[in-house]
Amino acid sequence: MPAMDRFAPAETSSPASAMTHWIKQIQARYEDRITGHLVLPARLGEYAEIPGSLPAGLHSALAARGIRQLYLHQRQAWDAATEGRHVVIATPTASGKTLCYNLPVMDAVLREQAKALYLFPTKALAQDQLAELLALNQAGSLGVRAATFDGDTPSDVRTAVRLAGDIVVSNPDMLHQGMLPHHTKWARLFESLRYVVIDEVHSYRGIFGSHLANVLRRLKRICAFYGSDPVFILCSATIGNPRQHAEALIGAPVEAITTSGAPQGERHVLLWNPPVVNRELGIRASARSQVTRLARMAIRARLKALVFAPSRLMVEVITKYLKDVFDADPRKPARIHAYRGGYLPLTRRATEQAMRAGCLDGIVSTSALELGVDIGALDVALLCGYPGSIAGCWQRLGRAGRRQQPSLGILVASSQPLDQYVVQHPDFFTSASPEHARIAPDQPLILLDHIRCAAFELPFVAGERFGELDASDYLAVLAEAGILHAEEGRYDWIADSYPAQAVNLRSVADGNFVVIDRTEGKRIVLAEVDYASAALTLYEGAIYMVQSQPFQVEELDWVGRKAYVTRTRADYYTDAIDYTKLKVLARFAGSKAGHGTCYHGEVHVVRHVAGYKKIRYYSHENIGYGPVNLPDQDLHTTSVWWQLSQDVLLAHFADPGAALDAFQGASHAVHTVATLAMMAEGRDLARTIASGQAGSEQGGGVEREASAREIGVRDAWGSAPGSAPEIFAPALHLYDPYPGGMGLSEPLFQRQRELVARARALVEDCTCTHGCPSCVGPVMGEPPEPSRSPKIQALRILDLLAAP
Amino acid sequence: MNALQARLVQLANQAGRVASLATPSDPRSGSFDDSARARLRVLLAQRHHAACKDLPGVAIAPGVQLVETVDTVPLSGAELASGRLAIDPIGFSQLVFLDTETTGLAGGTGTKAFVVGLATLAPPQVRIRQWLLTRMAGEGALLHFVAEALPPDPVLVTYNGKSYDLPLLRTRYRMNRLREPFGDARHLDLLHPVRRRYRGIWPNCRLTTVETQLLGTPRVGDLPGSEAPAAWRRFLATGETDGVRRVLTHNARDLSSLAQVLCALNALD
Ligand SMILES: [Zn+2]
Repeated sequence: MPAMDRFAPAETSSPASAMTHWIKQIQARYEDRITGHLVLPARLGEYAEIPGSLPAGLHSALAARGIRQLYLHQRQAWDAATEGRHVVIATPTASGKTLCYNLPVMDAVLREQAKALYLFPTKALAQDQLAELLALNQAGSLGVRAATFDGDTPSDVRTAVRLAGDIVVSNPDMLHQGMLPHHTKWARLFESLRYVVIDEVHSYRGIFGSHLANVLRRLKRICAFYGSDPVFILCSATIGNPRQHAEALIGAPVEAITTSGAPQGERHVLLWNPPVVNRELGIRASARSQVTRLARMAIRARLKALVFAPSRLMVEVITKYLKDVFDADPRKPARIHAYRGGYLPLTRRATEQAMRAGCLDGIVSTSALELGVDIGALDVALLCGYPGSIAGCWQRLGRAGRRQQPSLGILVASSQPLDQYVVQHPDFFTSASPEHARIAPDQPLILLDHIRCAAFELPFVAGERFGELDASDYLAVLAEAGILHAEEGRYDWIADSYPAQAVNLRSVADGNFVVIDRTEGKRIVLAEVDYASAALTLYEGAIYMVQSQPFQVEELDWVGRKAYVTRTRADYYTDAIDYTKLKVLARFAGSKAGHGTCYHGEVHVVRHVAGYKKIRYYSHENIGYGPVNLPDQDLHTTSVWWQLSQDVLLAHFADPGAALDAFQGASHAVHTVATLAMMAEGRDLARTIASGQAGSEQGGGVEREASAREIGVRDAWGSAPGSAPEIFAPALHLYDPYPGGMGLSEPLFQRQRELVARARALVEDCTCTHGCPSCVGPVMGEPPEPSRSPKIQALRILDLLAAP
Repeated sequence: MNALQARLVQLANQAGRVASLATPSDPRSGSFDDSARARLRVLLAQRHHAACKDLPGVAIAPGVQLVETVDTVPLSGAELASGRLAIDPIGFSQLVFLDTETTGLAGGTGTKAFVVGLATLAPPQVRIRQWLLTRMAGEGALLHFVAEALPPDPVLVTYNGKSYDLPLLRTRYRMNRLREPFGDARHLDLLHPVRRRYRGIWPNCRLTTVETQLLGTPRVGDLPGSEAPAAWRRFLATGETDGVRRVLTHNARDLSSLAQVLCALNALD
């Protein structure tokens, strides 16, 4: 990411143009909505020579495409790759990243008949890259054979790709399920495999990334069998730790190239908060209406605009609003297009081409366009809502940008807590480096799955390592389950099954629930829900949202892992009433946190869903309850927690109930900022308040979201008759809701001070009076007195936990 | 089980794994200390050794049992030497009937052939040789013996071998870093002529259906092919040989059927 170290002065000094004029215009008109204005200065290009050793054909192919010199980062990538060093290129969108890998790969294919494997996270991107390769190939009549290999490849073509492909363009799922388990059929590829190219590595984080790291461990194992040792070339959008992330993925040292040599016009970023329309309830105008208005204004000012919408439905809505204005005359070619997953590839290709050719004035898209699809240069990028991470923001904002002229990105906040935090803290945007992408390749269940797949591919010999890891305990478990056969220090696959089929790279285990829409006799699979969250989201009666469309769960087949839903028009949503019992099993580390302590360690969580509440939209009033009858969920995982002692709490709160309410509010804010800090999605991090003495046998629980007073006092303060009184020392837990954890607790523990400080700022700076869903979570009614407002109470907890 | 293993099993269950990992019925998963484990291993090896003595045939290498049989089938050399399949230029000695029994039907590099059966013709006799894997470690040797047993310039005769048996064996040779012996040998996959002629006429084109419909000799008491993998796993784990014997019988039957089907197809106008 380019350095961004200042707020712009009131007037910008760039040359007068439609863009600067327009920026001034909206600044003047909407001063109160713009919470921040950042300017990234224009940058000149840095160039380097095309390597002299390049085969003549490749030279002329470049010339035919108008390339007479390379950007510096392209040349650096070439030098690293051709000298056999693994390399990651992390430069902004549209900086010519593909040439960073296409050049060394084409060179190796042409000169040494070497082969390469390209991995992209989606089929659409693979298709794009194939087109790019074929264009280069054609420009120089090079005769390089490149082909995609994915689920759509016909079987007769597959054989040809296996035997004759120089460059195989595929995705991680296909490598995992289709190629590695059949590696003997791919022997020619693996024997001569010189380069493995992995683009968009920032998208391989969390569970997906942890799986990919293990798929790559398997790939390296297979390559070793065939005597090859490929060089990895990785590309990433802006993230905070490209090198570390790349090294974690491939399990080897990687050189990082992070400065782009491509020229870049001046770039402006505006943070935009829609106006408050109801101060009491903290309700603002919708991001959608603001984005639609801004897009309209931009297009009228003859600027090319791209709108990022948070859902497919929203794409359609905004597109309609814009088309109503600009495409009213059906005889004229459309000026506005929608672009999203679910459209046919041909339709999407047509939109991309029209945009590249400058025929369109506006595109409305989901994150489908965030990944490297080439649509040429744009003037304005409009983000309808904060995409969940700073890095994700930059990936979208980076879509606007021209080589010579200024460009503009506007982040329009929704009423979600994260959005509000970001636009109300513009310094967060300037000072925070982009998030770190994190993976946990040694997550025990993910590891077990891949050791199983690896054993299918090649027997393990005793003492053999998987990556850097000692696999012997895993092999013993699989042998005892009858999946492997242990004999004379070797573990052979013996089960009658194909393990890769059962391992989904996007979940921790294979217990996923399938959500099936049976509205009007249909049977359409809508979504998959992991086992851990099924009890909270798929109970009978639950309103389940897909693309902001409500469905109601009619039947839950727990054993068959299926939930049957129908479309509904209900004016409410549902929220599970669940009780969480949490017991600390081990503390890995601890430190002082203000007047309390902060730890991370291993915990045992038991969740019981007792029923659910029906909550009306907008008013958030509770309009009824329903029963839930499901087995308890138990979970061993890792957690980070903050704790205050009984003495401290009694000195600051009237009674334990008040203290627990305050903990609830504080936990809402800490969860919000922790999610932000970890580039995680909300569901990747769970929170709960555990009462009682940490480490004791008893771990009380309180209801999620509900007032602690309703139920918490019994669990937390009182003790069961006849037992010894417990010490009241509630703890605020953030834990990974996956068995075995996903490795978030340690980095959260490392940043505990920062998280408490940020949570404090979030609550304190919130524009509400007593507390609201954006800061401390839903608040019921007026507080009895201002000093006991949920906001003040939560701040008291955060003050106690903040370092003095 | 040690602590990590116990934890893995527990986590897998918490994640809602459909197939549980725990199999406490296996004596090895009990709470044995190391010396008990070692003693058990010796006992298992002894039992395995004893079990192999119960098998037909002879152990020709560690982990490889060779079973040789001769079957008399109702076919004559004259029938083969003329007819529509035009196999007369091929000497009978070059015809090699091939059928494998595998550890699973899933395919992929984790599936092994634990029986490779080859049959050659000396009408009216069929000479059948079957190599049975009695230990995992014997696979390389088994593949080596099979390669040795092929005549020069063989003509392979299989049923669905083009898409199943041959690719699987090729994978096994490669996995064992051995040169695969089939090269570009001629290959008659009888499934294809049967399909061309009887698809839509018979309920299906399985070999057992061909036997019933074309040869008029329905099988009785045969072990279904789908039960073969479990029979072999049982043999490895417990030394029980009944299942494996039945697999061998099934495989031999497949081979002699192949010879008769070839003859019958040849005789059709
Ligand atoms: Zn608030």
